Amino acid sequence: MRVLINRQIDDIIRYMTINIDDLKDILSRVEKPARYTGGEYGQIKSPENAPFYFCMAFPDLYEVGMSNLGIKIVAESFLRRGYAADYCFAPQTDFGDAIKRADIPLYSLALKKPLKEFDMIGFSVQFELCYTNILYTLDLAGIPLRRADRAGGKYPLIAIGGPCAVNPEPLADFVDLVFIGDGESADADVAALYLECGGATDEFFRRAAAIEGVYVPALMDVKYDKDGHICGFEGDFTPRRAIIGDLDGAVFPAAQPVPNCESVFDRSIIEVMRGCYRGCRFCQAGFIYRPVRQRSVRTLTEQACSLIASTGYDEVSLNSLSTGDYPRLRELIRSLKDSLPEGVTLALPSLRVDSFDSDFAQDARKISLTFAPEAGSQRLRDVINKDITEDEILNAAESAFDIGYSAVKLYFMLGLPTETDDDLRAIRRIVDLIKSAYGRKKRAKALRVSVSVSTFIPKPFTPFQWEAQCGESQVEAKQKLLRDSLYIKGVTLSWSDYFTSRLEGVLARGDRRLGYAIERAYALGCRFDGWTKQLNKEAWTQAFADCGIDPDIYTRERGEEEILPWDFIDMGINKNFFLRERRRAYEATVTGSCKKGCAGCGLQGVCPAAKGDR
Amino acid sequence: MIAFKFTKTYGAEYISHLDLLRHIYRTLRRAGIPVNYSGGFHKHPRIFLNNPLGTGIKSVAEYATIDTPFDGDFAGVFNAHSPAGIKCLKWAHVKDNQNYANCIVKCTYSAEGIPPFDIAALLARESIEITDMRGRKVDIRPRIYAVERQDDGLVFTLGCGENNLRPDLFCDYLCSVYGGRAKNITKTASEMSGGEFV
Repeated sequence: MRVLINRQIDDIIRYMTINIDDLKDILSRVEKPARYTGGEYGQIKSPENAPFYFCMAFPDLYEVGMSNLGIKIVAESFLRRGYAADYCFAPQTDFGDAIKRADIPLYSLALKKPLKEFDMIGFSVQFELCYTNILYTLDLAGIPLRRADRAGGKYPLIAIGGPCAVNPEPLADFVDLVFIGDGESADADVAALYLECGGATDEFFRRAAAIEGVYVPALMDVKYDKDGHICGFEGDFTPRRAIIGDLDGAVFPAAQPVPNCESVFDRSIIEVMRGCYRGCRFCQAGFIYRPVRQRSVRTLTEQACSLIASTGYDEVSLNSLSTGDYPRLRELIRSLKDSLPEGVTLALPSLRVDSFDSDFAQDARKISLTFAPEAGSQRLRDVINKDITEDEILNAAESAFDIGYSAVKLYFMLGLPTETDDDLRAIRRIVDLIKSAYGRKKRAKALRVSVSVSTFIPKPFTPFQWEAQCGESQVEAKQKLLRDSLYIKGVTLSWSDYFTSRLEGVLARGDRRLGYAIERAYALGCRFDGWTKQLNKEAWTQAFADCGIDPDIYTRERGEEEILPWDFIDMGINKNFFLRERRRAYEATVTGSCKKGCAGCGLQGVCPAAKGDR
Repeated sequence: MIAFKFTKTYGAEYISHLDLLRHIYRTLRRAGIPVNYSGGFHKHPRIFLNNPLGTGIKSVAEYATIDTPFDGDFAGVFNAHSPAGIKCLKWAHVKDNQNYANCIVKCTYSAEGIPPFDIAALLARESIEITDMRGRKVDIRPRIYAVERQDDGLVFTLGCGENNLRPDLFCDYLCSVYGGRAKNITKTASEMSGGEFV
């Protein structure tokens, strides 16, 4: 009898939902209330009384998260198996503070179900500066932050995935599961296992850890030596990244919700390829998404048509790390033009300079070109393996100017390994060459050039994972040099804030001990650290001090013999390959793209390009 | 051209004016209802809405004109593709842009949660001064056309356009004097000079 009553209470809680009309007082006082109401056109529809409830959480604002394709793919993978899936985004602080004061738990958007009542909450962690927002979301949901405080099976499983999961250690004490690699199958496999084991039992965790792409932090211990360096990992499992072989047949949502309020990428997105052939040495995405897998022209055309019909968008974005490298790009664009309704435009972001083809850009509004040479001098571009020459940039720019473009955005980095002042001054040279290419003919408008210089941050699983990150005085001197050298009419310069880059660098190459600092920073009010206006520098500084952590030990150069905090994860890439690439960087030797020949990174067994399919 | 009356309910009351315009545009695209574009460098679809409604205020009396050659069952096709809270209630072919932003002069609203009070005394006052959202003192009396009690709710007609008075501001004023808490403020009718569909 007692069991029965408990079950009934559980059922009541399980089906408890939040009524939006009860939130009226709060909604009418916050900025953009449409973020919190759900009810989007085409919102996610879950089966009733599903055996498993999954909440796809995104630790940033609604309008950022709604633009993310990955979370829609993961949610779809749960729906396909008959599970329920819903979304939740980090609410802006005005709403977050108000629901906390009113004691209303954070809820999912479509089902309006408190997060606490889900079986699993999976956070898509796109970059390091949203770590405090994960804690913020859990806190608003009334879920204890630390795994140790959630014991007993009363709370949902807390999982993370996405690019930051390749070094999950700073978050290790907060999460039950980490999904490493492609999210199409492992995430939902875990749900099936959970049902099979009857909940989050010891057996469940042991068996989950054996699934490819799953890491269970509780099953691994980190050992430190007397100097505080990592001297080993203890655990029975080696987490291996999940890699799907067939992207063309992979789960893809044919319809997607149309956000209530304008999102940052307010258009339909198709994923042309996953992975990048280039291997730029600073670029984490270029390594952690290897090998390159493509979708077929036919599949992409079908997906684009289905999205346009179901959303009403008038723009399709062809996403990948380097869409210009898609071998059948012309064929794809022709197919899309023939199949999509009239008036739909194509946005081709992240086109690499040397694959920029004036034919492809005709459709886009002829306003601004974006090039990312990343380094000013050819020598430094060789160091970072950015396989682009000045001529290629200029040729691409000139053909674009001839069809009506009059603005150029240039992206660079400062603080790269081996960088000298001459390398930075060479940025001025590129700007001058672009200006004179524009001035060669009479044009209707004045040229606008914007130069954006971010600070290089060494990231795990790149050949630069051992590099030191530039300190404050160096960064400021470099930024001043650029301000002096680029003080030219028609040119605007922007640069990134030192503190922000440093924090990102510390968290990116951090270890488990940083969890204390993240927790303390959240307790001191840190949220939305990636938003310039909301980053609380004093609180972060105090958090590190309170925890006795010197952030500089995380930004220093690491010894090649050192055990790195993320070394226990098998990404499929040999550490020796990274070391070899590091040596080649110092020799300024370019390693060509995977299309030209295999560099032997370790993934040859699963790499279509290595097998000749380029 | 087609002019139509539509709702903003079921959560759509929290959608801002600019986003509402995007939703209508996308609904028309999904529905396959073509819209003519403006000329000029930055082309935009010719969709003309009435004045913005404050976010959080529901409505069953919003109006828009769209420039379209469409000749089918507008409401049927539109409603099959629109978000839950944005539904066409009636429509007509019209010759010109109805310019609802200009010609709607008064709107009637209903609200719950305001306790009974002496309506005649309120209307007998010559001026009622409040502080608006920008902190300015304004006399709202000339913008109040009618107030009456119906069943449990209050029904009132306020000025719109040049003579606009936000219904939530009016309710705040009433609650500050008579107590209570306004709920479910809904625009129920819009009165235009010249007629609904011309």
